[in-house]
Amino acid sequence: MKPIAKVYTAILFLFLFAPIAILLVFSFNSGNSLSVLSGFSLYWYKELFHDANTLGALRNTLVLALCAAVISTVMGTAAAVGINKLRSRSMRAAMNTVTNLPMMNPEIITGISLMLMFVFAGRLMGLATSLNFGTILIAHVTFCLPYVILQVLPKLRQMDKALPEAAMDLGCTPMGAFLKVELPEILPGVLTGMIMAFTLSLDDFVISYFTSGNGFETLPIRIYNMTKKTVTPKMYALATIIFFVILALLLVTNLMDDDAVRERKAQRRGKKEHTLSDRGKKTLAGSVMGVAAALIIVVSVAGGGNTLELNVYNWGEYISDGSDGSLDTIKDFEAWYEETYGQKVKVNYSTFASNEDMYAKLKSGAVSYDVIIPSDYMIARLAAEDMLVPLNFDNIPNYQYIEPQFRGLYYDPDDRYSVPYTYGVVGIIYDANQVDQADTGDWDLMWNPKYAGKILQFNNSRDAFGTAMYSLDLDVNTTDKAQWDRALQTLLDQRPLVKGYVMDEIFNALESGEAAIGAYYAGDYFTMVDAQADNVDLQFYYPDPTNYFIDAMCIPSCCANQDLAEIFINYMLSEEPAIANAEYIYYACPNSLVYQNETYQEDMGEEAMEILYPDTGDFAEKYNKLAYRNLSDEMLGYMNTLWENLKIN
Amino acid sequence: MREHITRDQRRILRADHLALGPYTLWAALFILVPLVFVAYYAFTDVNFQFTLENVQRFFTATSSILQDDGTSVEARTYLLIFWRSLKLAVISTVICLALAYPLAYIMARAEPKVQKTFMTIVMIPMWMNFLIRTYAWMTILQDTGIFNNFLSLLHLPGVHIIGTEAAVVIGMVYDYIPYMILPLYSIMAKMDVKLLEAARDLGCNGLGVLRRVVWPLSLPGVISGITMVLIPSVSTFYISQKLGDGKIMLIGDVIEGQYVANNLHFAAAIAFILMILLLVCMALMRKLAGRRVEGGL
Repeated sequence: MKPIAKVYTAILFLFLFAPIAILLVFSFNSGNSLSVLSGFSLYWYKELFHDANTLGALRNTLVLALCAAVISTVMGTAAAVGINKLRSRSMRAAMNTVTNLPMMNPEIITGISLMLMFVFAGRLMGLATSLNFGTILIAHVTFCLPYVILQVLPKLRQMDKALPEAAMDLGCTPMGAFLKVELPEILPGVLTGMIMAFTLSLDDFVISYFTSGNGFETLPIRIYNMTKKTVTPKMYALATIIFFVILALLLVTNLMDDDAVRERKAQRRGKKEHTLSDRGKKTLAGSVMGVAAALIIVVSVAGGGNTLELNVYNWGEYISDGSDGSLDTIKDFEAWYEETYGQKVKVNYSTFASNEDMYAKLKSGAVSYDVIIPSDYMIARLAAEDMLVPLNFDNIPNYQYIEPQFRGLYYDPDDRYSVPYTYGVVGIIYDANQVDQADTGDWDLMWNPKYAGKILQFNNSRDAFGTAMYSLDLDVNTTDKAQWDRALQTLLDQRPLVKGYVMDEIFNALESGEAAIGAYYAGDYFTMVDAQADNVDLQFYYPDPTNYFIDAMCIPSCCANQDLAEIFINYMLSEEPAIANAEYIYYACPNSLVYQNETYQEDMGEEAMEILYPDTGDFAEKYNKLAYRNLSDEMLGYMNTLWENLKIN
Repeated sequence: MREHITRDQRRILRADHLALGPYTLWAALFILVPLVFVAYYAFTDVNFQFTLENVQRFFTATSSILQDDGTSVEARTYLLIFWRSLKLAVISTVICLALAYPLAYIMARAEPKVQKTFMTIVMIPMWMNFLIRTYAWMTILQDTGIFNNFLSLLHLPGVHIIGTEAAVVIGMVYDYIPYMILPLYSIMAKMDVKLLEAARDLGCNGLGVLRRVVWPLSLPGVISGITMVLIPSVSTFYISQKLGDGKIMLIGDVIEGQYVANNLHFAAAIAFILMILLLVCMALMRKLAGRRVEGGL
């Protein structure tokens, strides 16, 4: 290789591996930031192995990729054999076009089209859950198939056509001829196809996003759903481990190849054996599948003989998961239930990125959950659309610990459908090293031209319009389109000052001093303070008026086992899990067992208690006045149009 | 002379056609029928009554755009977004092609063992989740990020990349370049070296060989590479969200936004139009390239 070629290759590979180096470095971060390094530690690796949900998602991803690879390879190879023998030119052209379609179509279209069909078919057959492991597998096989076929076809064309015939003359059946003669010839193409299918399935996010359903969460979906709370270095640790596993695999295959070369050199025979790369591919494919299978077994959570299942659907990163020695709520519930009722229960826990995201899945009728934890305005909408069942509070005695001020609120005036889980207030976080104290105190800070390019706005239409409407002292639930237009104008005025429209990215941007001002949910401020860089001094205040929100546990009408769901809700209200969850999420908790608990108060610290539980006077009054309410479809559509208008500027 | 088919040949043929059965069924059920559903949703309203409203909305909806001088102009919302998506996707595809072409050539000319190592190096990043890799790019590209720290180490002025179209293009190039390298490499690896030698013997210089021999022969790889990069770039929504700082809205963001807003019929309409436009683009490209291939040598 010429030196210039070497340099060029090196530069491109550097480009390919730059982000992977970042993953590696930050996976050893002792802090929880992805942009500020605070020290070396193995903390996130330890966390990773305690996080059953993430490991479960990893197992799901591997199982899915393995199944998709095997099925698409078998079917694709058979298809290639058939296509290769098609005599009519038009038939072959038709098959080629169909095969190319999934490759010519954007993933988002493949995803949506399959979703529409599954949902439709599910309704036709009256299924409660039409999106599940089966549908996501079908989707993956479908987009992997063309890659397998395109790898196998050229090998078939190269093959001597007389070979299978000769085999049959010698007494083989057509199947035997294929297995004994044809298959070894085309094996390299088959294996490459299988590796490609495995890789593509492993990496797919878009199609899984649209076709996944009940309790089957893959790693990419889990990561995407962390949108509200931030991605932790734990995910980087996982990526790093995957990287080293692959690296080890490659080293092994390379060594085996070297042996093969030496063997052949020693033999010095003219006979054509499998070529070097064939053998390498075979070992690689074999070991990949082997390791994947082994990982699946290792990661597998023993789950034989389960009779009961509970499907829980919650925000990403919104439950105590056993990290940092905390309680693993889900596991603890399973153990507690078995102990108390003598029956095993398996909780399928999955996450969503936003209320709207959850609503879209639920409304499609394709999924079935037993417990969901949406926000107030979404609860109002679900209740209005008959999508919730009234709770039987006899099964939820712990409801007594929910203080009266959190009862009878607008979204559930008769306390029929919901049990509050967390609540909070939207505040403004700013970096005191960049922002003048005198400029703080109200919403104007987010429109202050002094800080152009340092201001962050929500990347979620409702919250973004909320900031504008609170700052203008408008009713955030108005049906007057002129008021919404005014809010849009305010957001348009702000746009030149805005550094970015963000959700979870706000954590990195504020922690590193990249931005100086942003509105977010109160509790998350402390996560940022913990990880802030040395030259950053994050402070917090509540502008007035501002948004109050409540996220509450509900049972959707698709629930299969209401008693069990209610027992789960009741369990979530009991002292130990409730405190663990409140400490993990870092939002205020409406449960008196929690906020009156001294250990909890100590753990949180005085400042956090003050910010999280501000003295609001009459909470219910304030809340009912300022919280988001369910907007009509017409208003939602209008808001969405305005949002697109803001975004294309 | 009539072609004579032996009994064995017929048996093989029958078996091979039989092998095609499951795939045909699968393709019809899971490739074709779902697309019919997209069309069905695109041309119906929430009550599944026929309507052209969704499609019309794509072409006619307008927004006011503020210009630098403070005045605002009306623009067709979705056409503008589509145009921007296509622009970024085309830029990314061209960059991918420019970067990948020499690399594929270098790979194809290396020793077999090196070739294999290179192949795996190109594929390794795809094994690490693409969301996570895109996330890591934020850490590199932000104003206080690795890249700008590196520049200031060299006493160079910092550059603002994150949140710009350039950042989105970098993300697209990074995420999709393997899909350009692989088809280019596989076609170049098959290229007959003797052809190149012959061209040299006949008096071609390096550039001439590239232009008259290598390039025309590699065209099928170029076309599949372009397809495999352009299509996902045009429709991505994660890269623009993360690296565009939420300021750059692409057609994929719109589709996803409409899906989340539970506006399935309009989402399907955009998807349907996008699909038709892309299929037409691809067909045109293939046709043009096909002519080049015939007339090139």
